[in-house]
Amino acid sequence: MNDEYLWDKSGEPDPEVQQLEQVLGRLRYQPRPLEMPDNFREARRHRYLPLLAIAATLALALLAGVVWLRARTDSKPEQRNEIAITPPSSTVNPSEKKNEEQPQSEDNSTSTDRDRKVFAVNVQRRTRRPATGLSKTERAEAIEAKKELIVALRLASEKLNLAQKRANGPATPGQIRNQHKIG
Amino acid sequence: MRSVFQRISIIPVLVVLLVIVSATAGHAQEPRIQMSHLDYLAAKATETVDVNIDERLVQIAIKVFSDKDPDEAQIKKLVAGLKGIYVKSFEFDADNQFSAADVDSIRNQLREPAWSRLVNVRSKRDSNVEVYVSLSGTSVNGLVVITSEARELTVVNIVGPVDLEKLAHLEGSLGIPDLGIEITKPKTKNEDQ
Repeated sequence: MNDEYLWDKSGEPDPEVQQLEQVLGRLRYQPRPLEMPDNFREARRHRYLPLLAIAATLALALLAGVVWLRARTDSKPEQRNEIAITPPSSTVNPSEKKNEEQPQSEDNSTSTDRDRKVFAVNVQRRTRRPATGLSKTERAEAIEAKKELIVALRLASEKLNLAQKRANGPATPGQIRNQHKIG
Repeated sequence: MRSVFQRISIIPVLVVLLVIVSATAGHAQEPRIQMSHLDYLAAKATETVDVNIDERLVQIAIKVFSDKDPDEAQIKKLVAGLKGIYVKSFEFDADNQFSAADVDSIRNQLREPAWSRLVNVRSKRDSNVEVYVSLSGTSVNGLVVITSEARELTVVNIVGPVDLEKLAHLEGSLGIPDLGIEITKPKTKNEDQ
């Protein structure tokens, strides 16, 4: 028996080894095209799920953004803009100007915002609201809603009283009464 | 690895579904009934009252009710917690303008255990009156009144906590005409004699 054959196929092979080679040789690797498993297509059907998830997440984010923006605009405070107008120096009387300049000369370092006179204040209001806290359009809507509410309550009250009267009153011929007590 | 990705990507879908389901469930719990199928009767009716006041409008309307006027203050107190008032009322100049199916479609929405029928008066001569309430514990959180006559059909749906006694007492106040119907009071001994 020559062991070299087992290592590098040199030398004389053993007949038993040759037989084994012949038997096992049929199972050696043979190149052939890849066969996909049967369930591969089944799995591909669910490929839309990640896309759906991304779309849903985007939709949620968009919704959250809209809600946040609405909440932000509703709670935005009034903007108050002060416009400071300094009168032109030519219109001021020279004697007055002299008097005015005197204190300035005493403390020139603080002659900034403190000496500026505010002649006009522009308060920008988003909506002018009366005591009820409603704007003009909201108030009109509220009055309309109040009218409808009264009509609805009138009918509800009337029909409820009718039901009570009919349930408690004398039975008319052919009348079926059925009153349940609750509570 | 792929299955992990799939699981992670399914989470937002589940969140969206959960939001939709919870929103639908919340809507279903409200004691509001659908009455839009009655709208076709407006074309036949000589007089139609169609009131749709949701919670937002109720809250806005409350702001213009005066606290100084006792009648208005009373109504304001009554409607303060309401989530909506919906009324459809039709008056016809001829008989049988609406069908029993119209009333049944309302009645079918008022099933137990969500709704309890408080009053059911049926008459061949006079009007049929049904009062349903939706109870939350011992308090009423929804009301439906259905009255049907040969030439009139009225459905009132109040959503939210409502005091039936106070509502019945409203007649006669704030321009609401008093029809002279007395609320039943317990009889005194003298009355019994």
